[in-house]
Amino acid sequence: MNTARFASALPWVPLLPLLGFLVNGLLGRRLPRTASAAVACAGPLLSCLLSFLAFLQLDSPHAFIECRLGDWITVGDLSIPFALRVDRLSAIMLLVVTGVGSLIHIYSIEYMGHDRGFARYFAYLNLFLSAMLLLVMAENLVLLFVGWEGVGLCSYLLIGFWFEDVEKARAGKKAFLVNRIGDFGFLLGLFLLFRTCGTLDIPSILHWLRLHELEGGLALTITLLLFVGATGKSAQIPLYVWLPDAMAGPTPVSALIHAATMVTAGVYMVARLSPLFFQSQATLFVIAVVGALTAVVAAFYALTQNDIKKVLAYSTISQLGYMFLGLGASAYAGAVFHLFTHAFFKALLFLGAGAVIHALDDEQDLRKMGGLGKKLGLTFAAMAVGSLALSGIPPFAGFASKDLILWSVLEAGLTRNPAWLLLWVIGLVTAFMTAFYSMRLVGMAFFGEYRGPEETWKKADDPKLAMGLPLVALIGGSFAAGIFGWPHLLLGHEEFVHYLEPVVAPAPLQGHGEHHLAEWLNLLLSVGAGFGGIALGYRLYVQSPLLPAALLQRSAHLRQAYELSFHKLYVDELYDRYVVQPLHIGAEWAWEMCDTLWIDGTCEGIARQVMDVGASLRRTQTGVVSIYAVSMLVGGIVMLGWAVVLTL
Amino acid sequence: MSPTALALVQDLRLFLPEVILVLTTLLVIVLDVTPVRKSHRALLYLTFCGLLLSGIYLLRHYVDLRESGGRASSSNVLLFGNSIALDPFAVYFKGLFLLVGLLTGVLSIRYKKLNPAGEGEYCVLLLCSTLGLFLMVGSRTLLMAYLGLELVSIPSFVLAGFQRDSRLSNEAALKYTIYGAIASGIMLYGMSLLFGLAGSLDFAAIRHALEGQTELRASPLLLSVSMLMILAGFGYKIACVPFHMWCPDVYEGAPTPITAFLSVGPKAAGFGVILRFFYQSLSTHSGGGDWTPIVDQLQWPIVLSVLSVATMTVGNLAAVAQTSLKRLMAYSSIAHAGYLLMGVVVLSKDGIFAILFYLAVYVFMNFGAFLFVVFLHDLVGSEDIEGCRGLGWRAPFPCIAMAICLFSLTGLPPLGGFIGKFYLFLGVIGRELYWLAILGVLNSVVSLVYYARVVKAMFLENIPRGEAEPLPVPFFYSAAFAVLVAPILLLGVYWAPLVKLARYSSSIFGA
Repeated sequence: MNTARFASALPWVPLLPLLGFLVNGLLGRRLPRTASAAVACAGPLLSCLLSFLAFLQLDSPHAFIECRLGDWITVGDLSIPFALRVDRLSAIMLLVVTGVGSLIHIYSIEYMGHDRGFARYFAYLNLFLSAMLLLVMAENLVLLFVGWEGVGLCSYLLIGFWFEDVEKARAGKKAFLVNRIGDFGFLLGLFLLFRTCGTLDIPSILHWLRLHELEGGLALTITLLLFVGATGKSAQIPLYVWLPDAMAGPTPVSALIHAATMVTAGVYMVARLSPLFFQSQATLFVIAVVGALTAVVAAFYALTQNDIKKVLAYSTISQLGYMFLGLGASAYAGAVFHLFTHAFFKALLFLGAGAVIHALDDEQDLRKMGGLGKKLGLTFAAMAVGSLALSGIPPFAGFASKDLILWSVLEAGLTRNPAWLLLWVIGLVTAFMTAFYSMRLVGMAFFGEYRGPEETWKKADDPKLAMGLPLVALIGGSFAAGIFGWPHLLLGHEEFVHYLEPVVAPAPLQGHGEHHLAEWLNLLLSVGAGFGGIALGYRLYVQSPLLPAALLQRSAHLRQAYELSFHKLYVDELYDRYVVQPLHIGAEWAWEMCDTLWIDGTCEGIARQVMDVGASLRRTQTGVVSIYAVSMLVGGIVMLGWAVVLTL
Repeated sequence: MSPTALALVQDLRLFLPEVILVLTTLLVIVLDVTPVRKSHRALLYLTFCGLLLSGIYLLRHYVDLRESGGRASSSNVLLFGNSIALDPFAVYFKGLFLLVGLLTGVLSIRYKKLNPAGEGEYCVLLLCSTLGLFLMVGSRTLLMAYLGLELVSIPSFVLAGFQRDSRLSNEAALKYTIYGAIASGIMLYGMSLLFGLAGSLDFAAIRHALEGQTELRASPLLLSVSMLMILAGFGYKIACVPFHMWCPDVYEGAPTPITAFLSVGPKAAGFGVILRFFYQSLSTHSGGGDWTPIVDQLQWPIVLSVLSVATMTVGNLAAVAQTSLKRLMAYSSIAHAGYLLMGVVVLSKDGIFAILFYLAVYVFMNFGAFLFVVFLHDLVGSEDIEGCRGLGWRAPFPCIAMAICLFSLTGLPPLGGFIGKFYLFLGVIGRELYWLAILGVLNSVVSLVYYARVVKAMFLENIPRGEAEPLPVPFFYSAAFAVLVAPILLLGVYWAPLVKLARYSSSIFGA
């Protein structure tokens, strides 16, 4: 059912940030900072308001708002309109993107206050948001792809924001290239989908799927290709390597990339096309396995990192792994719910980390922190609440969503295939590790004694209004966001899931009540894993901070594990040796043999010929009128002769 | 009033855009000779007003046509004894011509060689030429086509030689005149032959006469000869091989705004007439927007496709060796005549649509490039590629705008020129003329060489010592470049409205 009333306002949701981009991008250098900041923040805030109004319009389960602005590309059978569409799924995404996005914009005013590229920063940030909104609202997969690429481009610009630093520029490049690999898969998937369904309109595709049965192999290929795209954007194995390096950008950017935008694109895409993915159970299992592995591997890396942002980066990858695990188990609503809660607490953690970094003169090393709890009260509260939510401790936000995903996996294991039980165990282990590294982070930063230079300690202070306000708002969100999907075992109603069910593919099992015991078991174990991890972290990093080093001294196995985690299973090195280096060698060869010798040779040869012909043609242009007339005459006669031959 | 006179008055109401142009011309002449003190460029601004007013009435015609059903038969209004048609096709072209006239005026505002004493004449000639363009695309008879063509040509001869103190300009005018005289002489002869064969000058009547003859009485050879001779006149206007030789000399010598005018206006009008003549009198509609030559022996599409390839090849190859920007643009405009001819030979509504689409984009990119020539002459004092060296770092915005125009002329995405070329090639491939498409694409590749040379000079070559300081760019140029480049960029990503407009305008050739 189309709610026409609000349709005309819809285009303004992505347009307002785009206008902000144009103003700051074109006039930014001439504007005073306050004006720049006001323009930059006004767009997202107004978009947020519009999104909320749109959200209110969607009262019935299948309601949607659609706005067709006209045709974009019409060639042959292919017709791609500029059309935006908001249904319940995209409305939730809009609220997350604009809501958290706005808070990050406000935060940035203070955080970036002294940067030279103030206007440029906000221009990119606005463009980023605009691209993400386009991605979410696009009715057509091609338009979605525009947003998809736009987000990729902006992340490149923002990660490499301080491009004078070669290392940071390189991180931007890495993010871009790795994303390109995923995008290639995504594009191939789109092509195949177009060939199969004859359309790239999302509603039409879903309609087509209701009428036709996709052939098994085709369904597998299409969905796997699309999933390759998702692994790139959402940082899953094997394409997760860009995300940790993406820390090179300013911290609010990390918050934006990790919490509200960009990395959620893959999850959103899969949920959006869930009826398509549902056609291939094999793909879903692959997605679940990849998600589970990513979750546990990234959590393993996070155990030993000393850079505060690196810990959070790996935790993002790990939490995204959870989301994909949920998607694989067909708990689409559950995965989106985790995306929703994660947006709050991960934004909070990043902004909190930003506050720490800001207070300590750009110090990011956990080993040089400590005891900050005494000095930075608000920041401590933010990080503590964020960590509790991340660890899945009730009643904080992460608890309900993590529990829901784990339960879906366990249920799949009980009813479908025992292999899912293994994934469930992995999920529990990850939950334990998550709680442990969260506690480690908080312990190293806020407890114990300060280990950094004296003068920094003296200056360190809690953030002021512009940075403080978003922190407070997000603390609230991280507390309360779980309420919307509170588990029914604890007398909740899981409204969030019921809200989304009409617009995503149906979950295959509705096992409420049948496995009551298992459900309780899952709940207790996941909460238990969270508490266990925190307890161990507290013991090791708060009560006796010297113990970890001693333990490593004592056990060689532990030391090996530590090394593996610290060096991230040497994946970057492996990629370098087995992917990057061979590519380099191949590229060198192609450059010297193919490019220089053949292509350049041919091209330059042809070019020389062209030049020669051009020069001789130039000589015919003598400037003498009679020669011109004669040439016309000759040309005419030749044509005439030819005409004679044709008519004969 | 007699019925004939009444009909004439009736027709005049539908002729208002042209009437306004005439009245403006007269007003400018009168004001020019009255001894009133006029502020700088006042007459030019008056010309702008006339063109805009004419545009308003043209828009009304467009709206009326759309409301009256918009399809071929109902919207064909014939004026003055069936000699002029008022249909969407004509209105589209007239809109382009008004744009061309306006842009020529804009380019002239800061053109130093245009002295205030000659301003009145300049405007008058420009207006007359524009009127001629209007008549050309509206013509339904060979006679009107000829009259329109001459009305375009004769003021252009004078305009080309407008700088009386410049030898190059005089030479340009002389060559243009002589060459024009030869071409129209041949064309007239061809027209008289065709009149003898078909017994009429009216496009539709010619077709009717040729169609009616199951056994062709007229010798096909004679028909071919007359067609080729008429083609000489039209080919001269669009500057296609072998009628192109005048083009570089005239473009180089004429005042730059006039060069820009000549490179777009008469060329577009020439295509308008060619489409009307070749489709409406030498082809039959075989349904669904596809056409076939009216007489089997008269394979004019083959002739034109060979001319098309020859034109683009000669234009592109000769452009490679040029050092003067204006000559380079002259050859580029020859090459573009070749590309556009591809749309004529495919004998389908898609080809015509592609031509219409491309011409609209072509207006912006070509005027953008010529604006740069004016800019270069104004601020650097050169019209050569040499003069652009290192300019990209001294005046970034105009140079970036120029680069966009040049890349669009090459046909690189995501610019309007790419979309235009895409539709041209699509039409060609739709007719399975793969050899033509391949040659066209190869030519586009060659064209990149000389366009990119200009860009290279602007951005990659070293700046002569001592000239490295930034060049203050007057606001006029920044604004004008922005206005010209914005449509190119916009049409590269969102071209659906222009598609709709061009499709509607080409609907008289079959929907």
